[in-house]
Amino acid sequence: MNDPVLVVKGLTVYRETYAAVQDVSFTVPAGMDTAIVGPNGAGKSTLIQAILGILPYRSGEVFVLGQPLSPKGKLPPAVRQQIAYLPQNFLFDRRIPITVREFVGLGWDRLGLQLPWAGGQARRHAVQQALTQVDAWHLYQQPVSVLSGGELKRILLAYCLVRPRRLLVLDEAPAGLDVRSESEFYRLLHQLKKDQGWAILQVSHDLDMVRRSCDRVLCINRTLLCQGTPDHSLTPENLSLAYGPEFVRYRHSC
Amino acid sequence: MALSLFAIAILASLANFSTMTIQSEFTRVIDLFQLPFMHRALMGSVLTGFMGGLMGSFTILRQLSFFSDTLGHSALLGISIGFLLGLDPGWVLLPFAVIFALGVTYFLERTRLWTDALLNIIYSSSLSIGIILLSFRDDYKGGITHLLFGDILAMRTTDLIFSSVLLVVCAIFIGLTLRSQILLTLHEPMAIARGVSVSAQRTAFIVLLSLVVGISIKAIGVLLISAFVVIPACAARLLSRTFAQYILISAGLGALGAAIGMMVSAFFDLPSGPSIVTAQLAIFLLAMLAPNRRKLAL
Repeated sequence: MNDPVLVVKGLTVYRETYAAVQDVSFTVPAGMDTAIVGPNGAGKSTLIQAILGILPYRSGEVFVLGQPLSPKGKLPPAVRQQIAYLPQNFLFDRRIPITVREFVGLGWDRLGLQLPWAGGQARRHAVQQALTQVDAWHLYQQPVSVLSGGELKRILLAYCLVRPRRLLVLDEAPAGLDVRSESEFYRLLHQLKKDQGWAILQVSHDLDMVRRSCDRVLCINRTLLCQGTPDHSLTPENLSLAYGPEFVRYRHSC
Repeated sequence: MALSLFAIAILASLANFSTMTIQSEFTRVIDLFQLPFMHRALMGSVLTGFMGGLMGSFTILRQLSFFSDTLGHSALLGISIGFLLGLDPGWVLLPFAVIFALGVTYFLERTRLWTDALLNIIYSSSLSIGIILLSFRDDYKGGITHLLFGDILAMRTTDLIFSSVLLVVCAIFIGLTLRSQILLTLHEPMAIARGVSVSAQRTAFIVLLSLVVGISIKAIGVLLISAFVVIPACAARLLSRTFAQYILISAGLGALGAAIGMMVSAFFDLPSGPSIVTAQLAIFLLAMLAPNRRKLAL
């Protein structure tokens, strides 16, 4: 359990002709909440998409739960099963007919070849438990398309919860929520993290939240500028390196 | 509504007949049902309708409706190439449809222009080239209507066997990869993060879709084939709440529409493709009127 869940060494990712992420190295220890901060276009989303195998990487090494990720994004299915990814603005076509129960069930499935009725009772039970934990069991028959922003985020957390996981990767997960729903989301996320022993790697723009609740922080602007505890890393000097001096002056006058 | 128009037309024509003619009409219908071509046509339409609905359910959600239209139009090019090479067009069509579909997919991924604009170029040019090639064959000019709008007599026993095999393959494919297909349709990066091989799944789906389109062309015709894939799925969307229901209803309505259409085509001596599409339209309109539409929250 004390092994790091994620080890990244000298990772370089190209987007078309330029290096969006260059020579980034860090580790995510088990059970810790690590935030990635940096300005727009700094390569934060690119970085996590490469770690998940959504984008291919050019050079470097990535180990997820001790298993190497190939540059094209291949990872053993047993490892995949223990990771969950919540994308930035989970926008989907609302005309797709799917109920809350069906959607959360997708988080439980192994997604190889399987009979459509596989799992049966165990699947139903896991879905019910996950929905109860995020206080959304009453929504199970609802179409996902009618959910409010806050409800949708809770359902996404249930999708992560429905099977034991070790690493959660969030790309600005609360984007689009109002202040109150956002703090609700974080309260639930941190509670679940404690209960489940999840390690979290999350891209965030909310530096105050990062200071308050993250264990570690990575400042990124194409390259890794600094890493460490929020108090150590989010100094005016480092923020100035990441976001530019204008931003720091603004933050200090607040 | 279209169904009720059908009914009115039937009643009106019946009213004009004396009892004698009603009897003779009835005998004609019974006789028609005993003809082997009618058996093949009905079975073939049910098989292809079922497949069309099954594959159509994912086709419309992935916004591949226009893609299937392009595949259908390009089939005429495949048929005319078959004629020019002196081969049986039926057998040239299927490999052609698969290669064409994969080629178009590759082309769409490589360019940065709008997908619908590119598909427009592809379908109109392949249709044009197909018609030009066919015009070199004087003996086939009369057959163009059948190619464009379907021919009830074209269903052969080999087609039925091939349709049955293809239906089983499609059902097994959709069944075994159902969860991956759903997640892929909902959110591609989330599916990749879970280890779903997007390119393999997408290629397999497109190969099957092109085979379904290729095999259904004979009954429905080049111009209307995409409706055959799109309409049952849209009707099913109006009637279903869960994804599982949606797929099953889509396949069922596909088969129902095809069977009704084929019978209407035989009884009234109408081209089979338009008859099937009109029957499917009637089902779609009924689905729009269905009371549980509100539950959908579209």
